[in-house]
Amino acid sequence: MTQLERLLTALGKANVEFIIVGGVAARAHGSSRLTDDLDVVYARSPGNLARLVDALASLRPYLRGAPAGLPFEWSVTTIRAGLNFTLTTTAGAIDLLGEITGGGTYDDLASHTLPVTLFGREVLLLDLPALIRVKRAAGRPKDLEVIAELEVIEEESRRHQ
Amino acid sequence: MYDITRVNELLRQIREGAALSQREFASAAGTSQSAVANLEQGLANPTVETLARLLRAAGYAMVVDAIPLPGTDRVVERYKVDVDRTLIRENLKKSVNERVRSLAEWQAAGAELERAARTAKRRK
Repeated sequence: MTQLERLLTALGKANVEFIIVGGVAARAHGSSRLTDDLDVVYARSPGNLARLVDALASLRPYLRGAPAGLPFEWSVTTIRAGLNFTLTTTAGAIDLLGEITGGGTYDDLASHTLPVTLFGREVLLLDLPALIRVKRAAGRPKDLEVIAELEVIEEESRRHQ
Repeated sequence: MYDITRVNELLRQIREGAALSQREFASAAGTSQSAVANLEQGLANPTVETLARLLRAAGYAMVVDAIPLPGTDRVVERYKVDVDRTLIRENLKKSVNERVRSLAEWQAAGAELERAARTAKRRK
């Protein structure tokens, strides 16, 4: 099982409410770019925070880039106190985003998602127009190439409809 | 700035602004009064050269510019030129699951390459 499958399976088995965004979402829409992490926007309801903690606990999540030995407790208290977490786990890197620029929270994005089946489980994927909007709102120079490719995917998808 | 589809209004406005009759305007531009009348009524479309001559006759220089439409990002449009559409078309033939599975496989391959490189460096 690849690391990406392990992460998505862990989240899916625990019934975590999340939306795939970022590079994996772009890939799902047809991008040829590679990415090293999984970005998800997660719902911040108390129940979902608990499910999220349970889902990833066995994968030993830790703050990515933090000095070794820095105390980090993977718990509902920790997640509630923060919003966005860039983590490393035994199944690879995952970014847990409570809110994203240009997109908002899980509830804001929920109506801009597509249900897709990945590795045998149904998950929510940010739809292509919303993904482009979010990338534009981020305003980073490195995203210009990504935006260009996503818009080409939109054009090519329309051509083949 | 004028929308090129309304060139007949442009001609009438600049002619009137220059206080020229259609006959005077036509004479200065080296054309006929009837031609000017047709152009101003939108019954004919001038060539770019004719339009430039008419504008000059009224004391204007013509500048042609391509303005991006609202919502078009010129920088992104430039990046689009370099996007490999053949790869995109191949990816669009696959299911969503297939696309993400291939990403997972590439990630695994990348991890293996890193391991091999680390091993090779240790042996040196």
